[in-house]
Amino acid sequence: MTLLYVLLGTVFGFVLSRSGAADYDFIQGMFLFTEFQLYGIIGAAVAVTAPGIWWIKRRGRTLGGQPIAIELKALHRGNVLGGALFGVGWSLAGMCPGPILVNIGEGKLYAVAALAGALVGAGALGSLYEKIQPLFGLPPLNVGTGEG
Amino acid sequence: MVNGEWRTRLILHDLVPLHWALAGAGIAGITLALLFVGSRRLGVSTGLEDICSLVLPVRYFRRAAVLSGRGWRLPLLGGLLLGGFLSAILGGGWEPTWALGVFDQAIGLGPAGKLAWMFIGGLLIGFGTRLAGGCTSGHGIFGLANFELPSLVTTVSFMAGGILTTQLIYRVLFPLTGAP
Repeated sequence: MTLLYVLLGTVFGFVLSRSGAADYDFIQGMFLFTEFQLYGIIGAAVAVTAPGIWWIKRRGRTLGGQPIAIELKALHRGNVLGGALFGVGWSLAGMCPGPILVNIGEGKLYAVAALAGALVGAGALGSLYEKIQPLFGLPPLNVGTGEG
Repeated sequence: MVNGEWRTRLILHDLVPLHWALAGAGIAGITLALLFVGSRRLGVSTGLEDICSLVLPVRYFRRAAVLSGRGWRLPLLGGLLLGGFLSAILGGGWEPTWALGVFDQAIGLGPAGKLAWMFIGGLLIGFGTRLAGGCTSGHGIFGLANFELPSLVTTVSFMAGGILTTQLIYRVLFPLTGAP
């Protein structure tokens, strides 16, 4: 199974690399409204994924017969502030989390600094979580925040 | 930007990008394969937590969602690196580069400046995605496709943050008009 996930990740990474989703200029073009490419990619991905999820949920089982269990994400004030902070970071770096790794794989040296920053940022949130939990109405830790 | 027209080629070897519909369908295929084969919810930013959980002994990184997901998400993250590597090799060869497209034209910082810029961007990405509970993949693609309200709220928020920031950088602070 591990090999299957490596393979799926590799195809995912290749598509991100070759589509513009991991390209600084295409990300800026999306946010400047001068480039349609990323809107097309995300729109098409959602449009194809939605009926697929509906069908898999209706079937209720994986290919191997295991029950389908989708962990839902929590609604809280962190969605807004966290999302906005992430958006600023996405604009600055021209990469969201997946493309950070893709860019490192491509040989873009500055992407290593983006990964270091992202790990420090995630580590900081994890370390502060219980302090800021009431402030943002974040879910209790045993429940988790979903597999985002 | 060339004569008022945005470049339609990738920074990587000046390649012509895949058609957006093909790329979107490919990403959907990966998302659905993860769900159909392993009942896995696509999400890359949780993978950042998986890496943190290997070194940081805080309670947050001992959540079930992290501990039970590391076994498949870390291989997926490794695949993303490999996918970028193969893309470069097959597209004209792998070589380390500092090239950064319009950033080089309009802002023009050297390697040290780029590292600092990217580190700050990364900090916001890591902190923001985990505060919001997900990123473009977990909220923007899976969450929207599964009609989840928190994902709609988060997606609107990160698109707004990105649009405001890029508009400020490339239309006000370092305008792109007249670039070569």
